[in-house]
Amino acid sequence: MTEVVLITLFGSGLALMVPVLLAALGEAISEQAGVLNVGIEGTMLFGAAICALVGVNTGNVPLALLAGTATGIAAGIVLSVLYVRRGTDQIVTGLLFNIFALGVTGILTAQVIIGNTAPTLSPWTVPLLGRIPKLREVLNEQNFLFWISLILAVVIFYVLRRTWWGLYARAAGERPHASSSAGLDVWRLRYTAVIAGNALAGLGGAALVMSTSGRFIPGFTSGRGFIALGVVVVARWNPLWVVGVAGLFGLSQALHFVSGLIDFFDPVPDQFWLALPYLVTVAAVAVSRGSRYPAAVGIPWREPAAEARG
Amino acid sequence: MSEGNGGGSAAGTNVSSDTAGNGAGARGLARLNLVGAIRHGDIVGSILLTMAVMAIIVVAFGGNPWTVARTIISNSLGQEIFLGQTIMTAAILTLTGLAAAIPFTARLWNIGGEGQMFAGAVVAVTLGIMLPEGTSHGLFVLILIAGAASGGAVWGSVPGLLKAYFGINEIVTSLMLNFLAFFAANYVVTVAWPEIYAQLQSREIHDNARFPDFWASAKVDVSVFVALATAVAAWLLITRTSLGFSIRSIGANPRAARLAGVRTRLVTVSSFATAGAAGGLAGAVTVGGIHHDLALDLWISNYGYVGIAVALLARLNPMAVLPAAFIFSTLRVGSNSLQAAAGISSSFGEVLIATFVIMLMVTGAIKFRYAQH
Repeated sequence: MTEVVLITLFGSGLALMVPVLLAALGEAISEQAGVLNVGIEGTMLFGAAICALVGVNTGNVPLALLAGTATGIAAGIVLSVLYVRRGTDQIVTGLLFNIFALGVTGILTAQVIIGNTAPTLSPWTVPLLGRIPKLREVLNEQNFLFWISLILAVVIFYVLRRTWWGLYARAAGERPHASSSAGLDVWRLRYTAVIAGNALAGLGGAALVMSTSGRFIPGFTSGRGFIALGVVVVARWNPLWVVGVAGLFGLSQALHFVSGLIDFFDPVPDQFWLALPYLVTVAAVAVSRGSRYPAAVGIPWREPAAEARG
Repeated sequence: MSEGNGGGSAAGTNVSSDTAGNGAGARGLARLNLVGAIRHGDIVGSILLTMAVMAIIVVAFGGNPWTVARTIISNSLGQEIFLGQTIMTAAILTLTGLAAAIPFTARLWNIGGEGQMFAGAVVAVTLGIMLPEGTSHGLFVLILIAGAASGGAVWGSVPGLLKAYFGINEIVTSLMLNFLAFFAANYVVTVAWPEIYAQLQSREIHDNARFPDFWASAKVDVSVFVALATAVAAWLLITRTSLGFSIRSIGANPRAARLAGVRTRLVTVSSFATAGAAGGLAGAVTVGGIHHDLALDLWISNYGYVGIAVALLARLNPMAVLPAAFIFSTLRVGSNSLQAAAGISSSFGEVLIATFVIMLMVTGAIKFRYAQH
């Protein structure tokens, strides 16, 4: 009995982690370069909707995932022009972009997707780990995006913390003025970070469609992008920690599926389990008080000369 | 929209952001002010850009931009019943707009208007069903309004308290509380007082708890006066009281305000609680005024988030929130009949509103100034 509960919990918990993990990795990149991308929820929605659309029409899963990522890149280009080039307020722009995305994907659903279902990803049997008893039953449940997201976490950790580009990007997020004086192109660093971050968010949205029912409905992401904003704070912008924190979120969401298996939880209303991931996010953000945003997050940056000209 | 903020007379047009999660403005001091006189060219430019983007979207979805524009205007203002709907929606958007405008003035990002509205609606529907049916009409309505405002205030003060006493970033917490309020409402409509004949909505409140009509043929009730009174009260609060002065001074320069003796924590919590009360009143309007029950599809109306757009269009001036809410309400209500008239889904209204405010920022009609590092 306990074993069934634990296998279900971790099996679905890890699967639910993937979209949030991808989005949070993207958010970590863009925040480290000094751009708070609240529009991540909207990018996930766009990625999910276009992925479902392509999946429904072609039946080709890899192509649909690529389309979701490409949509993320397109959203990233638009957002980086707003956040970086035009220097609009990041929080407000991001929020409005989310409303925009909700609306456009709503129109798409009503007129183009219309409840059609795309094919989804099937679980992938892992070569070596997939033979270990117990672990096998959890890991062989996961599709290949799970493994890709873990690899991406390591790659992004390496890029942000061990390469020159990562150092420059973090400098642009902490002291853009000093970075610029030292000869770095702050705008270019931020463009790249925002576009890369949104590509991951788009893939996260696509992963959400392809790992669940293959069907897109309005407001499909139900705040996962916002949860990713919290995950990044709790993980202190460390891509490897992001894996753990996103995993915690996945488990808190998976509790809903196992609550029915445990008699003790019978009197707890369903709504509690649905609300739990959001509650966990608030609690996790609340206990990570010492976590500090990169100093220049949220502030558009302009060359001092451009500032003087107005 | 004509409320200027030139010449320092303007109250409540300072916003700033302290994105550092640590203390009230101690580190990562990212202050910003809403600056600059209104240049009409920027506004015209924003309107033209918005129309261009909208035309592209409409054509992409196979519609006719001209039909869409005509439908929006005629189905929001063209008939008595549509005008009534526009006025009632404007009342809601005024209240959620104030829920954003008040904390924004103190550079606090309250993204929780949606949740505060739901908290108010949950309290309103609970009172409307639980209190004895024989309660006199006027008293019942007043209790409903007061209860919803207090419920919203309590809910709204949570991110304020977390921000003031633990230095926790209010953006994430206020956003998450929206979802928690939604699931609380979900509990109310599915477990506590479900409507037997329809799904995802609660039972209706007692007749005596319903807001009296004020213009019956257009289905406009006293909610309008609730919205007007709240906007005036918010304006008085911001411009004529010492709390309002503290809110504005924190918005202008949190450090100077603290050194001058402003009690930052108290002001943070109060501005969130006041905003929550306004959001809660929006919930009272939907329950007591428009629907007489709590329906979960209130969630997809996004009134809380559109309220942020309203606050920005009003440049955070509480009195300007009224016309701003009316303008966006026109676009929202007019879009409701687009599916039948022009073959475009009604979500178009949100797209239009979001694009317009983004364009206002792109052209610099809404501009923020930041403290550079």
